[in-house]
Amino acid sequence: MELIRLERAVIGYRTPLLPPIDLALSAGTTLAVLGPNGAGKTALLKSLLGLLPLIDGRRTLPQGRSPRVGYVPQRDRLDMSWPLTVLQVVLMGRARLVGPIRRYSARDRAAARAALQEIGIGDLADRPLYALSGGQHQKVLIARAIAAEPELLVLDEPTSAMDPAAERVLLDLVARLKSAHNLSVVLVTHQLTAIPGFATDVALVDRERKVFEVGPAEQMIEPQKLALLYGREVRVAKVGDKTAIVIGDGAPP
Amino acid sequence: MSGFADFWAGRDLWREPMIAGVLAGAILGYIGVFVVLKRMVFVSAALSEISGVGVAFAFWLSAVLGIDPHLHGATPLLLEPTWFSLLFACAAAALFSFQPGHRKLATETIVGLGYIISSALVLTILNSPRIAQEAHAIGDILFGNAVTVPRQQIYALLAAALAAVIAHVLFFKELLFVSYDRETAVVQGVGVFRYELLLNLVTAIVISVATRAVGALPVFAFSVIPAAAALMLSERMRSTIVLSVLFGVISAAVGYYASWVEQLPTGATMVVVASLFLLPGLVKILRRSSV
Repeated sequence: MELIRLERAVIGYRTPLLPPIDLALSAGTTLAVLGPNGAGKTALLKSLLGLLPLIDGRRTLPQGRSPRVGYVPQRDRLDMSWPLTVLQVVLMGRARLVGPIRRYSARDRAAARAALQEIGIGDLADRPLYALSGGQHQKVLIARAIAAEPELLVLDEPTSAMDPAAERVLLDLVARLKSAHNLSVVLVTHQLTAIPGFATDVALVDRERKVFEVGPAEQMIEPQKLALLYGREVRVAKVGDKTAIVIGDGAPP
Repeated sequence: MSGFADFWAGRDLWREPMIAGVLAGAILGYIGVFVVLKRMVFVSAALSEISGVGVAFAFWLSAVLGIDPHLHGATPLLLEPTWFSLLFACAAAALFSFQPGHRKLATETIVGLGYIISSALVLTILNSPRIAQEAHAIGDILFGNAVTVPRQQIYALLAAALAAVIAHVLFFKELLFVSYDRETAVVQGVGVFRYELLLNLVTAIVISVATRAVGALPVFAFSVIPAAAALMLSERMRSTIVLSVLFGVISAAVGYYASWVEQLPTGATMVVVASLFLLPGLVKILRRSSV
């Protein structure tokens, strides 16, 4: 079942950023949107979510309604100085479910605490936001997205400031949540290491080279396609059951 | 007579301005928490100036139409400066809700332009020979001479404060969400534009009415200083709001009293008293940074 579909969609703020796009986001998939910095990934994400009007083409909702979205923004865009507790931030994920005028109920608080528990930071619920580490803050934002009871979990560059080990832990967490909540996932990233073994589908995006290509991950994680995307030689190798991607010094073949 | 006895004996003179100051301190202390956290301090300053343009414009229009505001009952209700003040401030608030930024002209630049142009407009109108006789009234608005406040303005301030409280009680969770993380609120389908508009309109109405009552300087100060002082001391939203309201109320009351006893300008004295509340927070920050 498809959640969102873009048909011959021309995306951009005033001028087209990418060639016309055909993209169907199906239930249960994990789509990684991959491209260098400033490639147009966020514009694609906004267009997919209906936040950026299309210049041309169509965005359709095959279910007849927008899917419920849990969104994890880039952590550094948020202000840590707000005098909020972790629980207050996670409760924000329930705002749409509760609706206007009503206050958060005991059930909402329980759901928010359960989301924190599931992420493994249940003990931080009453801690002030400013006292969190970067990794803990990231998890709080994921807990807020889960508290929204989403069908679609969208993560915008969640691992951009993480070391490889922390990145792996976070992606494993997202994979576990996907399976536990039967979610579809869209992950926007410029980090190649995040993709293998995580995404089922990959969209390659680059406005400079006017590249947009989407397909199953095993077809897209391919040296020639990645070399075209990054303008450099790329090697893909198997290390045990993992896939390693190395960007070389040379020009693409 | 001692200072306080003298002050108490004159209570019939200061009752209204004191009530107006305390009311303005309380409601601006509350709204200021959002103003400071949303980093829209200059929106508050610009709204205050823009509402001043509304008042000046009302006087100018009356002069052009040949209406003498000194004649009892001469000014038609529609030319009442309060309406123009509200209209101008609300129009600006609505404009700011559209986030009229451009890659070469950030929203804060546009807010700054609003402030500068409004200040210039008020001064221009103030010095217009057509309305020279009204200059003192516009001057009060600009420089915050909160010595005499008609009862009508207290009612207006009370109504504006009530509207702000009702809006915040009903939609607190939405206002908090869109203020803290606009982007996520947009993605999750919370009506961001309407809540930002509500927040800005409520802020504009309070600022506009309070500016008429106590002056631009104390209004700007009450919408920034108490909240900043409270934020430095508190780590919880609820206690921040309580402290900020308390600081606003005390600043207005003590400031008015000090200005009476020492014969100082009222609005400016209120601001000086409010500034004292920044000291505990600054000491706290200095202590932390020296550890």
